Amino acid sequence: MSKDEAKRLRERLNNELNRATLDHCVKCTICEQSCPVSAVTPLFSGPKFVGPQAERFRDGESVDHSVDYCSSCGTCSVVCPQGVKVAELNSLARAVMKAEHGIPVRDRLITQTTLMGRAMTPLAPVANAVLGNSAARRVMELAVGVAASAPMPTAHGQTLRGWLKKRPAPTKAPTRGPVIFFHGCAGAFFETEAAKAAIEVLEHLGFEVIVPEQGCCGLAEQSNGLFAQASDAVLKLVGQLRAPGTAAPVVSVAGSCGGMLKHEAHEILGLDDPDLADVGRRTRDISEFLMELYDAGELPTDFAPIPLRVPYHQPCQVRSQGMGMPAADLLRLIPELEVVESNAVCCGIAGTYGLKKEKYEIAQAVGKPLFDLVLELNQGLAACDTETCRWQIAKSTGVKTVHPIQLVHQAYGLGRLPGLG
Amino acid sequence: MSRDIVIGAGLAGLCAALRLAQAGRPVTLVAKGAGGLGLSQGTIDILGYAPDRVFAPLDAVGAVASDHPYSGIGPDAVAASAAWLRDELGPELLVGDPGVNLHLPTALGSIRPTCLAQPSMVEGAIVGGRRYAVVGVRQLKDFSPELVAGNLARTPAPDGGAIEAHPAWIDLPARPGEADASGLTYARALDDVAFADAFAAAVAAVAGECDVVLLPAVLGLRRLGVWRQVSARVGRPVAEVPLQPPSVPGIRLYEALLGRLRAAGVRHVQGSLVTGFQAKDGRLRSVTVAAAGGPRELAAAHVVYAPGGFESGALAVDSYGTIAERLFGLPLTASSSPDLVGPDFWAPHRLFQVGVRTDAAGRPVDGEAAVYANLYAAGGLIAGAERWREKSGDGIAVATAVRAADAIIGGAA
Repeated sequence: MSKDEAKRLRERLNNELNRATLDHCVKCTICEQSCPVSAVTPLFSGPKFVGPQAERFRDGESVDHSVDYCSSCGTCSVVCPQGVKVAELNSLARAVMKAEHGIPVRDRLITQTTLMGRAMTPLAPVANAVLGNSAARRVMELAVGVAASAPMPTAHGQTLRGWLKKRPAPTKAPTRGPVIFFHGCAGAFFETEAAKAAIEVLEHLGFEVIVPEQGCCGLAEQSNGLFAQASDAVLKLVGQLRAPGTAAPVVSVAGSCGGMLKHEAHEILGLDDPDLADVGRRTRDISEFLMELYDAGELPTDFAPIPLRVPYHQPCQVRSQGMGMPAADLLRLIPELEVVESNAVCCGIAGTYGLKKEKYEIAQAVGKPLFDLVLELNQGLAACDTETCRWQIAKSTGVKTVHPIQLVHQAYGLGRLPGLG
Repeated sequence: MSRDIVIGAGLAGLCAALRLAQAGRPVTLVAKGAGGLGLSQGTIDILGYAPDRVFAPLDAVGAVASDHPYSGIGPDAVAASAAWLRDELGPELLVGDPGVNLHLPTALGSIRPTCLAQPSMVEGAIVGGRRYAVVGVRQLKDFSPELVAGNLARTPAPDGGAIEAHPAWIDLPARPGEADASGLTYARALDDVAFADAFAAAVAAVAGECDVVLLPAVLGLRRLGVWRQVSARVGRPVAEVPLQPPSVPGIRLYEALLGRLRAAGVRHVQGSLVTGFQAKDGRLRSVTVAAAGGPRELAAAHVVYAPGGFESGALAVDSYGTIAERLFGLPLTASSSPDLVGPDFWAPHRLFQVGVRTDAAGRPVDGEAAVYANLYAAGGLIAGAERWREKSGDGIAVATAVRAADAIIGGAA
């Protein structure tokens, strides 16, 4: 990382408008009460200490290096009753610190999600075998610091694009107009089932689903302090999502990545881009989109029953979108489906945080109450809106974890989840 | 589809949302943050000083001035609302009689009148002739047994008798290497049965001769009843003394109420400010929520506005001394602040009694008429009480929340 980049980020931190919100902090401790990381380790002194308190002393120096242990879950900003942008400022402060002290090669590698997907797809069996091999994973841990037990994505032989090209054209003519579909990197390469289910549900409801060519949103780079790369990625994506038109809603099946478009790229990367703002305004999480239809009386609820108890976890970066818990509300419309909310702040993985060898145990401790709940209450399935969180829950509990839209897909009679009656 | 919108996640907002949802109404609770219960003592004050120490709060509620928030609600409705909340939360979280005040020790060693309390606290009531041991933990910040015991011992008990109090310390880190942990860190550690055993054994070893052992209020966050385990090991009653925030008993109440809300089907939108509204023909049609990405209009059947007062920014004084309500621009009992703050810091300041006036149903009024036919106020926004001086904020919050909810439920039926 160049000295120029460090200087540029420092300049931004010092002049950030959000910085004025620090003066609203009354030191009430509500952010500390909700921080999932400081709850399980003294290595992170908590959002208030590294944020509103340390910030006063960040005059050309990074004063509290424990900010590196912040997982960027964003909970502190969500719960702050005074409107202090704790998470946003701490993310920026961490980027400054990492720019000054250097970013590990590991952090550059694990953020290359699209590249991983492109490289792994044609070699899926080999890639999966390597990532599933404990000796290879121990070498990875020693060589680059990716925890040997951390969840890794599974490559598939067919991408979402491949499926879209090969499937028969929809037979029903659209009755409701177009939506622009955002599937994220995981939806493209690693976990295409959720994206396919979302597309089929939207088509079933009468929408014309446009799936533009699309890259990564840059969230992983952002949370690793690679702000320049993250900015390039998200702006490129914004252009791709605007290509089909600027009127249709953008519907996202990638829970946390939708939040990047809605607010994080603006609030954390500091991007003041009118195209980004336009996409952010039009972006809806798939469950949020369907619940808006429901509230308007426009969602058919002829759901087939799913007699099942399913633990549902709302990821931290979905909660921070300020839309309530639409996935839980949506799942409750399905007869006989008992939805148990996890009430857990975070699963621990926080994108790439839990992959790092020095943070792996913290991430597992953060997720433990959630894992315990899933293990106790599951009947073969758990549900969660974000890909990496699903991998974390599945890896840590052994319980198959799906996107809520996959249950809706089944309830509309569009398919069957494997193993479910 | 219109829903009842409750704005604010403090005690008033949570109670209003719960009550409405239990009546089968669709409810959305919108809050900027987590609400203030986690900063509270985890008890329910009804009326503690009027201005002298109050022993029978309902009698004192019956005697308040006509511009007080309790006036027009009356002792029976105040008692019923407090009892409703107590029974909703159940005896593992809240016990007591709305007609009787308890006098509990504070972390400074003063004696605080309150009404409903957590079962882990009630044995701490200050009664003449009793001997109290005050046990602190070396690695826990914000609880000094010498301060607590010293102040208690020199203060007459509310019944006029004298008490004895002595300090003691235990040495037991909640996490290795942490020299000044918060109460929350201890409470999480004490959720573990084995750590609670070690804690209890250490307390038993130092408590000495006493009738009651006073402990910092850290006896478990999610596992209720840790106090029983400690008491059994110590062989005497123990009682929690609430600390400054992060306040474990307050967090217990907040989490329990949130859990009940979600179970009752309330949608909870957290972290989003309500920034505007649409009204037509004297009724609110919707409120505007600043969600990530852009505004969302939430169609409103009714709105219960429970945003708090000055402490939350719902009421604010600008640099010209003008007092205003942030969202609806509601008429206030005063609009200019300079004459309302006196020179004596400790004396009452009329500024803190400023707020909205309501009609008998709890709707903010302009003169005699409701500002909007379907807008109700609850909690700290309502004028006429300096709550922290009277120790009346919780009771007002619960009673006005129930009043608003019941007016909506009754009107709808």
